[in-house]
Amino acid sequence: MSGSTSSGRVFHAVAGTISVLWLLPIVAVLVTAVRSFDDIAANGLASLPQSFTFAGFADAWTNGGAGAMWNSVLVTVPTVFLSLALSAAAAYALSRFEIPGRRSIILLMLAGNLLPPQILLVPVSKLTELLGIYDTLFALIVVQVGFGLGFYTFVLQGFMRAMPNEVQEAATIDGAGPVQIFWRIVLPMTRPALAALAALAFTWIFNDLLWAITVLRSSAVMPVTPALLALQGQYVSNWNVIAAGSVIAAIPTVAVFLRFQRHFISGLAVGAVK
Amino acid sequence: MDRRHFLRVTAAAGAGLLVSGTASCATSASSGPVTQAAGTATIQSNLSAPAAKAAIDALVKAFNDKKGAQASVNTVASETFRTQLPSYLTSANPPDLFTWYPGALLKGYEEKGLLLDISDVWQTMGDYPQSFKTLSGKVFVPTTYYWWGFFYRKSNFAKWGVTPPKTWTEFVELCKTLQGKGVIPLGMGAGSDSPWTASSWFDYFNIRVNGAGFHRELLAGKQKFDDPKVKAIFTPWREVLPYTDPNGTAIGFQEATTAMLQGRTGMLLTGAFFADAAPKDAIDDIDFFRFPIIDPNVPLAEEGPTDGFFASAKSPHVKELKEFLTYAATAEGQEAYIKASSGTVLPTHPNAKDSGTPLVTKGRQHLKEAAEITQFFNRDSSDALQPTADAALVKFLQQPDQLDTILTTWQKAAEQVWSS
Repeated sequence: MSGSTSSGRVFHAVAGTISVLWLLPIVAVLVTAVRSFDDIAANGLASLPQSFTFAGFADAWTNGGAGAMWNSVLVTVPTVFLSLALSAAAAYALSRFEIPGRRSIILLMLAGNLLPPQILLVPVSKLTELLGIYDTLFALIVVQVGFGLGFYTFVLQGFMRAMPNEVQEAATIDGAGPVQIFWRIVLPMTRPALAALAALAFTWIFNDLLWAITVLRSSAVMPVTPALLALQGQYVSNWNVIAAGSVIAAIPTVAVFLRFQRHFISGLAVGAVK
Repeated sequence: MDRRHFLRVTAAAGAGLLVSGTASCATSASSGPVTQAAGTATIQSNLSAPAAKAAIDALVKAFNDKKGAQASVNTVASETFRTQLPSYLTSANPPDLFTWYPGALLKGYEEKGLLLDISDVWQTMGDYPQSFKTLSGKVFVPTTYYWWGFFYRKSNFAKWGVTPPKTWTEFVELCKTLQGKGVIPLGMGAGSDSPWTASSWFDYFNIRVNGAGFHRELLAGKQKFDDPKVKAIFTPWREVLPYTDPNGTAIGFQEATTAMLQGRTGMLLTGAFFADAAPKDAIDDIDFFRFPIIDPNVPLAEEGPTDGFFASAKSPHVKELKEFLTYAATAEGQEAYIKASSGTVLPTHPNAKDSGTPLVTKGRQHLKEAAEITQFFNRDSSDALQPTADAALVKFLQQPDQLDTILTTWQKAAEQVWSS
């Protein structure tokens, strides 16, 4: 008894220390966000705060933060819907029908995802220019959908393949065609996986920097991550404004995660058991 | 609600989402690029620091208020700008103007035919000294420049009872005194994301010992980094290494300024942009002195990095952009810029007023006295050569006894850059 409590204490002490260490960077960002620039310049980033102000938040919001946030929403929401809709359709076809060479198709889609995006930067940038969509949010949506499809399809087809065949057979007997089966049976049953993927995709696309700076050039269309980068100066950066901007930029992803948390965990669990 | 109904509702919702997805996609496409309105010259700017951004905004506003041609600024992070500049320039529809500095990189683009010949703007710039003209060639219009020096707090020097040195001996003596008082005499800040600060030391030792001519030849690949003349400049540098911040290669530039402002270090070799990193109430307390003379026979050279604009050869707004460049080169335009900036940059126009603070007046005089102006390591050589200097100099600061190996390695790395 006494042995188990002492080991319990050790466990709590170790776990507690790790949690505190884990949270330290976030606390540091939050503290920096509410300091004034003069305080940071005079006392350094690492010193204890000697000022308290929300001016950093106001600065970040008015210095392009508001527009960038809207741009991010304009990119992220359509991209998540489009890529999940397309990959759900692809996954349905690949998992429920005997398409010749479907294994190769899936592997090919996955292989596309294994390519490092860095080697595709120049071709993608040139391609969007040729298509005349360079420097538009539309280009970013197309690129993001294209690069997301492979992975989402792979996950969804694994999930759909695990559905019992009897359900589909019963629907067929009831007279449902492939499209009806997809809409009325497969898609609703895939909800947990879709919700989990939607939460993931939202975070990835919202936090992406690389594609945004590859296909965009004007500050007016930049989403939130490059806008955050633009708060950094060539020599001198206002760390309080950058920290405040980071806090603002984190809010949507945190909100989405909290909202989808339940689906997210159950989605993973369902996938794991089957 | 029965199951069928539920499924129908879900399907409808799904379809609805799809439609709304494509719909918002269409709207976002229309909110796409900043339309290049006829008669508006777009300026791609890397001046992302708040003070510098305010300054270029003020310049453009003053230009637009004249109701002639119009210009608009598009600010991107300086790091993004640096890496994306080649793709901006080679794109089918590039921005019209770019903020940048003269140097090897610009020459390279000029030779590839990517830059617009703006010699007729120079026709309006008769007052400009020949040195700016030589520096800029046919493709660049300089608007501001700044100076480098050892910056310190007047109140701290008074407290420690020391005065700025003139000669190298006095400088070493000053370091010794400060160390005796428990202060680290020399800040560095070559850690984190600013290893390039060490290059300012290299530049200064080289222009003080070997002169600006040799320095330029070395950076252009006509001399060797393992030359005995280069090795010689590390002798005075070694002399002051014991007085240099032992954390010099660990902390970055911005932290190093804080250490100096707090009096933990005595002084910092840095550029006038340093004032951007200082709290407002400390600025009046800041002064600087010239990097001490080591060999009085070497003509006085100073670092005076120049900034300005160049234009893309593909621009459809040649008339508008030239009008803007002409305005940016006038005293009026530069005064508008400087008024909105943090005030430590100098106008390139000889008759334009600077911000008029004692610090800036002294800085302008400081550069006027110099017989030769160098730009900075990366500007006199290339951004590709800068990392070789960073690696070599940071290693020297950490292991000064490895100098011979460091210089041989540096020369090898530099040769690779030059031959590529």
